Amino acid sequence: MDVIGTLASIFARPDLWAGTLRFAAPLTLAALGGVISERSGVVNIAMEGMMLVGAFFSVLVAAATHDIVLATLASVLCGGLIAAIHGVASIHLRANQIVSGMAINLLALGLTSFLMFRFFATSGTPSDIPALPDVKIPVINNIPFVGAVIGDQNLVVWLSILAVPLAWWFLFRTRIGLRIRAVGEHPRAADTLGISVYRIRYLCVILSGLLSGLGGAYLSLSVAHSFSDNMTSGAGFIALAAMIFGKWNPIGAFLACLLFGFGQSLGINLQGTGFPDQLVAATPYVLTVVALAGFVGRAIAPAADGVPYEVGE
Amino acid sequence: MTVATLPIERPAGRLRQLVASGIGPILAVVLAIIVGGVVVLVSGSNPITAYQQMLVGAVGSPFDISETFISSIPLILAAYAVSFAFRCGLFNIGAEGQLYMGAIASTWLATTFPNWPGIVLIIVCIVAAMVAGGAWAGIAGWLKAKTGAHEVITTMMLSYVAIDISHWLLEAGPMTPSNAYGTPESGPIPPQAAFPIILPSWILPNARLNASLFLTILAGVVFAWILWRTPLGYEIRAVGFNPKAAAYGGINVARRLVIAMVIAGAFAGLAGMVPVWVQMRLYDSFSPGYGYEAIAVALVGRNSAIGIFLAGLLYGAMIHGAVAMQANANISGFLVQILQALVLFFVGAEMLIRWLLRRGGLRALVEAPA
Repeated sequence: MDVIGTLASIFARPDLWAGTLRFAAPLTLAALGGVISERSGVVNIAMEGMMLVGAFFSVLVAAATHDIVLATLASVLCGGLIAAIHGVASIHLRANQIVSGMAINLLALGLTSFLMFRFFATSGTPSDIPALPDVKIPVINNIPFVGAVIGDQNLVVWLSILAVPLAWWFLFRTRIGLRIRAVGEHPRAADTLGISVYRIRYLCVILSGLLSGLGGAYLSLSVAHSFSDNMTSGAGFIALAAMIFGKWNPIGAFLACLLFGFGQSLGINLQGTGFPDQLVAATPYVLTVVALAGFVGRAIAPAADGVPYEVGE
Repeated sequence: MTVATLPIERPAGRLRQLVASGIGPILAVVLAIIVGGVVVLVSGSNPITAYQQMLVGAVGSPFDISETFISSIPLILAAYAVSFAFRCGLFNIGAEGQLYMGAIASTWLATTFPNWPGIVLIIVCIVAAMVAGGAWAGIAGWLKAKTGAHEVITTMMLSYVAIDISHWLLEAGPMTPSNAYGTPESGPIPPQAAFPIILPSWILPNARLNASLFLTILAGVVFAWILWRTPLGYEIRAVGFNPKAAAYGGINVARRLVIAMVIAGAFAGLAGMVPVWVQMRLYDSFSPGYGYEAIAVALVGRNSAIGIFLAGLLYGAMIHGAVAMQANANISGFLVQILQALVLFFVGAEMLIRWLLRRGGLRALVEAPA
């Protein structure tokens, strides 16, 4: 087998790069949510569950109303709602946030599959549900290679890319962003200055739910065009890894998501070429470990990440 | 992300302590059953029927009890893997991958040397499973100690790698015998290397519960013994409690991190071997997520050997009981995941439980050291 030749031909495929963006999009949304939540001091390992909830309820509403706007709204709201449960547990009940996050993940898996059985058990989700729209860019669409990569991407892909600088600006260039970081680094000091620690933390946790929910809707409405049990299959955990890999920075997290997206896309593009695609599928994970150990170095979380805060202690 | 906030408890020496530390999880289970019942009711089914079917399905006959144990054992062992690392302040989210490595190593040995005498083969396989799981987890521990690479990412990434390796071994050939009917699975585990079945067939026909139960109990004893009765365990807990203080006290923190992960991985490796030795073959994607559910079991069991054993039995019973419930009551077996999540949630939301207990006039239990 001509290894170099095969690889070269695959790297010249626009599919590989378009797929990278497609796979990275839901990861990016969830990872950005994670960054915002943890910057405020609430550990969030529940992106997986929030995505799953978004994926299911968007399909449920899409099947009932055939309205893509309502379906998307449902995904975002339900993601936010389940995030709010994590918020109550972590902020008011001062529960261990890892425990609460795991509970949310399990709950989302149980609830969505339970309702799936209740509503769609016999036939699966209907095939006539609306999809999130693709964005055809007129001129770019016709450029040979570039057109095939970005000329006809989904709206959510563009939203996810747009969300990266937006999240960065929000966290590092706005007053509320400064407050979020203050609450995540030193809640007592922030509290003393009159910042409501609880309110900021709720805002950030719920924001992460909204973003993850949208990511989930993209997976079900557009990528799979259906819902199946546990269909996120670890995407939320990959997003979690991307968040840490990217050192709790929106841009770093996005780059990590691109790496994971690339790995997934490469695995798919290598199918049928004689490469052991199961092993190729593992390369981004190996790369992550190597990169983390080699040159990314110590990942340091926000100082108060995971530490519950008690007002007026 | 920090796990240092997890409570470090002393072993419950007195009965009162035992009751006090058990009351939270028990109440959590009760609350979960109530809330889960509401979910069933809202979805248009009868919760009483659901729970009845689940209970009967889990423990309604000696055969079902044996199956419940079979569902529980991998969860318990994998939860020891999660918990042992927890005790050292490490969040081992990758028991799943470690148990895959254990399953691969033990299966490879058993299918490569099918003519070895049973007792030799099974001991070699147990050791291989523990070594493979331990080594896989040890990578993450070593990276943490050497470079500070966050164990949540490394263990998770290594999990995916291990699972992909197993897919490759079983789907692309190396471990699949040529006479397999196109299904990705290993050759059979030689019968002489099987764990002895506990109940002979003239007492209970078809029962599959085997001596891995004793191995699991032994694992629990070893788990507790290392942590509470050896200097190593003391040092591991010290590192988990406060790494800086431990280092100041002269403990080599880096080395303890690695050792804790290796021991944790060894438990997980064992957890991977046991289900293979029930089915007597390694199937592709053989684990329904033992390593992930084990995190919940470890947390509900409060990181103690007995607590984990009981929590694992509870979760295993729910998993096995759900099969009958879905078949007989036409309610999705995923109700179990909802219940498991709720138990976990209420265990985590300890404040809520304390508040409820106080309302119920059970202050004495609340104030007792948990």
